[in-house]
Amino acid sequence: MSSEGGGKARNRRGLSGWLNPYHYNFERWAYVFQRVTGIAILAYVIGHLGDTSFFVGGPIGTGPSQSSWTFISGIVENSFGHLILVLVVLVVIFHGTNGLRLIASEMGLILGRPASIEYPYKPRSLRLGQRALIWAAIILAVVGAAWAAMILFGGLA
Amino acid sequence: MKDLKLVVQRFDPVKDASPKMVEYAVPKREGMTVLDALLYARDYVDHSIGLRFSCRQASCGSCGMKINGRPRLACYTQVEELGGEKVVAQPMDNFAIIKDLVTDLGSFFDKHKAVTPRLVREDGEEQERPTGEYLMTPGELSKVLQFTYCIKCGLCTSSCPTVATDERYPGPQALTQAYRYSADARDQGGAERIAALDNSHGVWRCHFAGSCSYVCPKGVDPALGIQLLKRHVMTGKPPHAKDEASKVWKAPESGR
Ligand code: SF4
Repeated sequence: MSSEGGGKARNRRGLSGWLNPYHYNFERWAYVFQRVTGIAILAYVIGHLGDTSFFVGGPIGTGPSQSSWTFISGIVENSFGHLILVLVVLVVIFHGTNGLRLIASEMGLILGRPASIEYPYKPRSLRLGQRALIWAAIILAVVGAAWAAMILFGGLA
Repeated sequence: MKDLKLVVQRFDPVKDASPKMVEYAVPKREGMTVLDALLYARDYVDHSIGLRFSCRQASCGSCGMKINGRPRLACYTQVEELGGEKVVAQPMDNFAIIKDLVTDLGSFFDKHKAVTPRLVREDGEEQERPTGEYLMTPGELSKVLQFTYCIKCGLCTSSCPTVATDERYPGPQALTQAYRYSADARDQGGAERIAALDNSHGVWRCHFAGSCSYVCPKGVDPALGIQLLKRHVMTGKPPHAKDEASKVWKAPESGR
């Protein structure tokens, strides 16, 4: 534990504070997934830009060519590549739909209104509406990923 | 009745290299709170346990600590609701440790003060030497009432994942108070208050994890206050314009 000066010790949780939702509420878990999926999507988009620019005019050819296409599809067109794409569908749908919930909340919607407190108190901002929307994001993501898996692994044309 | 296993994180930054967990056996009794257990350990087993408390009734906000992994008030948490066998008491996260369970709330209070947590009126003379009252309707009161219950215990700030990584973030308590005063029908300082929070370390650092509301012992629901505040920061318009604030009301002469 590092010192903060004045005989005190720093106790800020740092990265583990936002990565570890243990002991906290359901919405906190959604928060962690939202952030982690955001980083994963960013990494995917950077990789995706890389491989498409590679195909269009990268070191293999001066423009779109059969050889560069074959090279790229060699990386993606296998079980591991498909699994990654299924995960991409999963995280993009979750991140997008959960993101809509967050945008709506930031505009003051689906939160409930301030009112007098009656005990036992349940915070209005953590009531059913929010939870239902998080579950909707999870269900949509799982359904979308299952559909993508069926297409990629050959069940659907 | 079996003794309670009370585990306390002991750490004096002046003397110790690192924290250590020390276990105390505390005789249980019905209705015992975590604060009761800690006071027993301090009074009868080890006088050197550092802890802060005052009112013992969830009104002062002094005894906030991490109990069994979650920020709670020690006086407001019964041993039985934690299973009754083992209680682990640690200092609140995100606050510097002074000793054992006592944390430094100095920067927390500074952030509270920085949002101008009081009614701001353009007519300072009237505010200092009032000639009447600023009235509120029951409807206006209910828009802010729950946010006024804050006892500044710091539990919300301790639970907040943004505070964990950003020292400059005001934290849920201060942001909620910024909303509470700006939404008050008697206030005229909303525009300045919300403009000061429209920056990358301000209100937009909140990503609505909701833990603040989950741990708040007073039903303040800081997450609600912060989301309601965001709409006003986004549009740059406070909840009500200056000239819509309550006017000075003078009681009519009784004529008697
Ligand atoms: S908002 Fe609640 S948890 Fe936060 S300081 Fe106020 S009373 Fe404590």
